[in-house]
Amino acid sequence: MDGELTEVAEFLVGHAPFRELPRPLLAALIRRSTLRYVRRGTRILSVGEPNEVMYVLRSGAVDITDGDGGLVERSDPGTSFGMSTLVERAPSRYDFTAIEDSLLLVVPEEAFRHTCARDPAFESFYTSAHAARLRRAVGTLHVADRGGAVLRTTLGDLVRRPPVAVSPATSVRAAAQLMVRERVSSVLVIDGERLAGIVTDRDLRSRVVAAGLDHEEPVVGVMTPQPVTAHADALAFEALMEMVDRTIHHLPVVDTAGRVTGLVSSTDLMRLEHNNPVYLVADLARARDLPALAELATRIPVILEQLVAEDATARDMGRVVTALGDALERRLLTMAEEELGPPPVPYCWVVLGSQARHEQGLASDQDNALVLSDEAGPEHDAYFAELAARVSAGLEACGYPPCPGEVMATNPRWRATLSTWREHFATWIDTPEPEAVLNGSIFFDLRPLHGDARLVEGLRADVLARTRRGGLFVAYLAQHAVERRPPIGFFRGLVLEKEGRHRDTLDLKSGGTAAVVELARVHALLNGRSEVNTHARLGAAVDAGSLSPGLGAELQDALEFVAYLRLRHQGRAVRAGREPDNFVDPGDLTDFELRHLRDAFRIVRSAQQALGQRLPLGSLS
Amino acid sequence: MTPSLPWRRRPKPPATPVRDLELLAVDLETTGLDPARHEILSIGVVPVRGDTIELGGARQYAVRPVRPGGVGDSATVHGITDDAAAAAAPIAEVLPGVLAELDGRVLLAHHAAIEVGFLAAAGRRGSLEVPELTVVDTLRLQRRVLQRARPFGHHTEGELSLASARRHLGLPRYRAHDALTDALACAELYLAQVAALSGGADLTLRDLLR
Repeated sequence: MDGELTEVAEFLVGHAPFRELPRPLLAALIRRSTLRYVRRGTRILSVGEPNEVMYVLRSGAVDITDGDGGLVERSDPGTSFGMSTLVERAPSRYDFTAIEDSLLLVVPEEAFRHTCARDPAFESFYTSAHAARLRRAVGTLHVADRGGAVLRTTLGDLVRRPPVAVSPATSVRAAAQLMVRERVSSVLVIDGERLAGIVTDRDLRSRVVAAGLDHEEPVVGVMTPQPVTAHADALAFEALMEMVDRTIHHLPVVDTAGRVTGLVSSTDLMRLEHNNPVYLVADLARARDLPALAELATRIPVILEQLVAEDATARDMGRVVTALGDALERRLLTMAEEELGPPPVPYCWVVLGSQARHEQGLASDQDNALVLSDEAGPEHDAYFAELAARVSAGLEACGYPPCPGEVMATNPRWRATLSTWREHFATWIDTPEPEAVLNGSIFFDLRPLHGDARLVEGLRADVLARTRRGGLFVAYLAQHAVERRPPIGFFRGLVLEKEGRHRDTLDLKSGGTAAVVELARVHALLNGRSEVNTHARLGAAVDAGSLSPGLGAELQDALEFVAYLRLRHQGRAVRAGREPDNFVDPGDLTDFELRHLRDAFRIVRSAQQALGQRLPLGSLS
Repeated sequence: MTPSLPWRRRPKPPATPVRDLELLAVDLETTGLDPARHEILSIGVVPVRGDTIELGGARQYAVRPVRPGGVGDSATVHGITDDAAAAAAPIAEVLPGVLAELDGRVLLAHHAAIEVGFLAAAGRRGSLEVPELTVVDTLRLQRRVLQRARPFGHHTEGELSLASARRHLGLPRYRAHDALTDALACAELYLAQVAALSGGADLTLRDLLR
């Protein structure tokens, strides 16, 4: 006779603190426990009630609320609750309510204490989990703070005081004295309301003292003119990226009207947080060679997992994963340039698709292209072909598979001069064929990553001027966007994949995230908007009046929810050593999540219907 | 002489409220589906008291088949190999313990005809008296759960399987298929079914036997 309850044990070891618990202790704990099933709406335990057990949510969902009804935590399977009463030996501080039909593992007090007494890590997990929940309950720790400071903080939040500024005519000496008085390491030079330049400690050292310049000279002669600025609503993380990339330490912050509101330094940002992706960005930018880069790239899934654990939004996770991918790709480009010598003609390396939209996940392919200056002749192609080959091989070594459709700069078709690119776009837009439009649609999400960005900016403006007129091209794109059916049935159920490798799973991409991406793209092109990020495009579509504010907001929520599930699914796959994909097993989702997923898909469907009614798509088929 | 077991407790009357019921979820792994020809390889039992599954009482008994031919192809279903089966105790030694656990309890199983048929056949072969059992079948309960959802709908055999029934009620998916896991799966399904069928009212044993 034996009785190892494998499924219960396997379930528990998937969650802290059971993961680290020695197997005999775990088996003993299970043996002393019971299982209970409660219906949705059941109050499991109320504030002020005595309690002698700890619960572990086996399936379903339970809300933990404080005495005033404020939500302290929404428990997923694997979450323990009720232990506060055991830790404090006091009546419950919280209400616990099943918001789904839930199966509960009930650990009696004596089993809980028995395990605590034998495993200090188990005990400290619960005392600190209890403390954390308490902090949340009393409001000292907001949910928003859990996403990591650098991801949650905008530059506007960091600016504590107006900028220390001088006019261009101020003498170098007076500027230096002001810096001493204000204890700052840089001063902005402002002409009227316009930012003219910046003077740093280093400028005073190299351009004044070392050069023997007269201290009465005006600062305009020693400042760095037209410094890089950042918007007040940029994330601290993005600003830090920019600074690492350009090796600068000060960044003036401007508001939407372009007025300078303050200055942030790299130390301000670094101080925000120690354990964050920023250091990885810095390491990527400094990596010596490809093996070092590939080694660093293995940390990207770890960071994603951490972000999921910290409850970051999918939108922020997409930004972070993209920023890391960008840093890696930029380093590959500079390494290639170091080895191949400077480019013979100006070029711009552009990224396409999800990376361009700042929505990269873990299963992202390489999608890139080269825009060469029109000076480029056939004799220059060898250089760029080699550049593209190196970057592509490097990306592959770092875990980014080549694009199956060969939308990569290694493909001679997508390594072309600006004029040739104009011809490509003109063909897609003016004489569209359904197939060509589909294949070309990825090029409408593009972003310059490295090299001369001006090459691409002019191109983008031309393209938008053409698509704005709508016409057959946009109609084809819209038709495709509308045909991506979300996986919901005629009534309310979710529709699972019927065959193949992904049988009985839900495709979160095709009728989910990808459908929203395509809808947003059609709206952006119709309105001639240059935004590339899907959330930004939806916002712009609402501003332009082509999407109702209600539907726009719902679509953003739907995208956020589906994208979050997708990123979490991918993070788990990588942790389990599987290839990340877009197919989630509904058994891995809580009922709560499944219900929201149905709502999200329904919203996508209504947005598709709304677009379908606006455009004469029927005439295409 | 037929050895009789010391039955101390009588089964509960049909009017017993479900919250006072004591049940034993039972699942058998067998060499086939026919109690006359096939044999038991293992028995998983999980006690249920009212609305609570008592994990401490969960047991799995391995059984050594007596007839030649071994576990045969059935090993592909339950993973019990001939070697493992040979190391186990014969049914004559295992059965009395299982019947003692059923004493005063309702037998709970998914598609209970198999469990009842095999236990009765094993009792006959071992000249052990198997008492009249009160049986609750989660497969039959599931038919009623589905009828509530779709009063005029038709449900397929597939929807009544243990795995599908669990999925329908939002219970986690189990990967292992040994007797103990399936007995536990059946016990959990029972709790969910009772919750779904009661609709807030107190059910009695009679309601589950319909």
